[in-house]
Amino acid sequence: MVAIENGSSFTGATRYVLDEELANIVNISMALEMPLLLKGEPGTGKTMLAHAIAENLQMPLIVLNVKSSMKLVDALYQYDTLTRLNDSRFSDSGRDVSNIEEYIRMGKIGQAFTAEKRTVLLIDEIDKADTDFQDDMLDVLDQMEFDIIEIDKTKAARNRPVIIITSNAKKDLSDPFLGRCNFHHIAFPDPKMMRKIIRVHFPSLDTDLMENAIETFYGLRDVDAIEKRPATRELINWIRALDADPDFKPKKLVKGKVPFLGVLFKKSQDYGRVLQHTERRRLF
Amino acid sequence: MFIEFFYKLKETGVPVSPTSFLTLHRALNQGLVTSLNDFYTSARSILVKSERYFDLFDQVFAHHFKGAEMPDYEGFEVDEMARAMLEAWLKDPKSMADALDMDEEQLKKLSPEELIEYFKERLKDQDEEHHGGSKWIGTGGTSPVGHSGFHPGGMRVGGISRNKSAVKVAMDRRYKDYSLSGPLTQAMMGEALKRLRNMIPSGPKDRVNIDETIYQTMRNGGEIEIIFDRDLKDRLKVIIAIDNGGWSMDPYVQVVQTLFDYTRAQFKELKTYFFHNTIYGTLWKDAARYKQPVKLDEIVRSDSETRLVILGDASMAPYELMAADGSIHLEERSGTRSIDCLQSLADTFAHSVWLNPIQTNMWQYTQTINTIRSVFPMFELSIDGLEKAITQLMLK
Repeated sequence: MVAIENGSSFTGATRYVLDEELANIVNISMALEMPLLLKGEPGTGKTMLAHAIAENLQMPLIVLNVKSSMKLVDALYQYDTLTRLNDSRFSDSGRDVSNIEEYIRMGKIGQAFTAEKRTVLLIDEIDKADTDFQDDMLDVLDQMEFDIIEIDKTKAARNRPVIIITSNAKKDLSDPFLGRCNFHHIAFPDPKMMRKIIRVHFPSLDTDLMENAIETFYGLRDVDAIEKRPATRELINWIRALDADPDFKPKKLVKGKVPFLGVLFKKSQDYGRVLQHTERRRLF
Repeated sequence: MFIEFFYKLKETGVPVSPTSFLTLHRALNQGLVTSLNDFYTSARSILVKSERYFDLFDQVFAHHFKGAEMPDYEGFEVDEMARAMLEAWLKDPKSMADALDMDEEQLKKLSPEELIEYFKERLKDQDEEHHGGSKWIGTGGTSPVGHSGFHPGGMRVGGISRNKSAVKVAMDRRYKDYSLSGPLTQAMMGEALKRLRNMIPSGPKDRVNIDETIYQTMRNGGEIEIIFDRDLKDRLKVIIAIDNGGWSMDPYVQVVQTLFDYTRAQFKELKTYFFHNTIYGTLWKDAARYKQPVKLDEIVRSDSETRLVILGDASMAPYELMAADGSIHLEERSGTRSIDCLQSLADTFAHSVWLNPIQTNMWQYTQTINTIRSVFPMFELSIDGLEKAITQLMLK
């Protein structure tokens, strides 16, 4: 659809199946230079999207994994006092101890701002951090600059990075934060989409195996009262396991026999419940 | 441009801001939007900030650009259903006649308009949303007309597949499940429950409190004094009591229990008890309400900071609540009125709520619901209600 300034627009990547709607949204966010906020169940490929964009547009990818205890400053820069103390005591490093700037290290956001090329900045699981972090970060991303208090300098972004923010919806994000992002919710892929995804990962996979595996997978996802429902990642691993097993025949799945259940269900309660479910099905 | 569309969104309750509207125009000015499809995706990603409003957005969009009936839920769905029914009727008059409990001959005499009238007539007869009955229209019932019914030879209404233009996509209402009024899914309840937390310092003192250290060091005249703190941990005790007697509660028991179990790790203590209709002298630890009774006196002795969540439809015969020995179970003769038992629970636990799966607008018709509401703050078991309930539980 739209050409971005540097002449490229996002069309997908080798290991990522993109639906058109999402491609559209990514391109618009890039053109508007606004961060894109992605929500969705775990395993719908939120994080993978950023990797795909980076690969497709050949930009370096910088990942900021947000932790609950994180302060914004950690993401921007660090003032390495310990090295400075060490240098002042044993001055043998060649650094100028009186120049604080030599002891400022860039954090992930800082790296993205100061990079030579335009980068893709992935801020993963923003909802883990508290609201202060989110609100402060918003200012930085809006202004595209931040102050380093220790040396009283302002760092401005050389290139405005493509910003992708993911959230698992653990906490609601604040309204002003949402106001400055574009938003998309990635739904769990439907079987048709899933077939494409599996094809991308296993180009030479037996069609029977794929069809039966996908059908069984969606059946198992619908079993009642499962705490952690298996996602795309689990399906891919499971198919890998099935494919690697020389004794396995795709027909077994149709008969309701499900090997390697542990790959799909990782909580013991879930495992038990699903096992019960499949065994009951086999009896009838 | 599109100012009307913007205000329509606002009116229907999608929280849209002028700033985002301006952003949308920036996108339009830059020539980023070349088709209605583009407009749909870009308008949604720029204006709407939560998947809960995607469904409303879809409906407003369909209305505005296609003139589809307004997103007044009933209207939209009835018309969709009626249209689908008409199609089915044209294709297969025989099964349609069976489905509507009519003679084929009789049916042939009806004009399409009359048929739809008949259909709507039935819809009007029902005075509440009905899922799972035998006559009225709703979902999952055995009524001949409705969605996903079990009626032999019945027909499926709505949910016909369409090809994918933006308006049609919008009319698909793919995000119905995420809307605020939608059904309660585990993921959504989990999200709400995450807010139920109470951070209390616990464990060994192994964290340096820097501010305090600096302050104390200064007070010491420069002599370093390092102050340690305890880590903050979530140490909330929760009791949930579930009414698992009677079919009316069946669909909810499992969901709620799984969810609280799911978040178990978050709490210091989580106890689940069961009762039928209302609480007398005893609660049960086992779902069969037989093996492990727990006396109410014992529960009342728990920490008063414990959060009490009661799940039940609060609907019963008034005497069950108001009379001494009102229980329908012979073995539950404690001699106290159930309402007094509830009151003593409410007095013990300052933070308590009653979650009710019945819709709020139906509460006024049931006497016992009103009575119990005067004892416990009551909330509907929906995303909205759950959020309000959590807020209530976390009040200081």
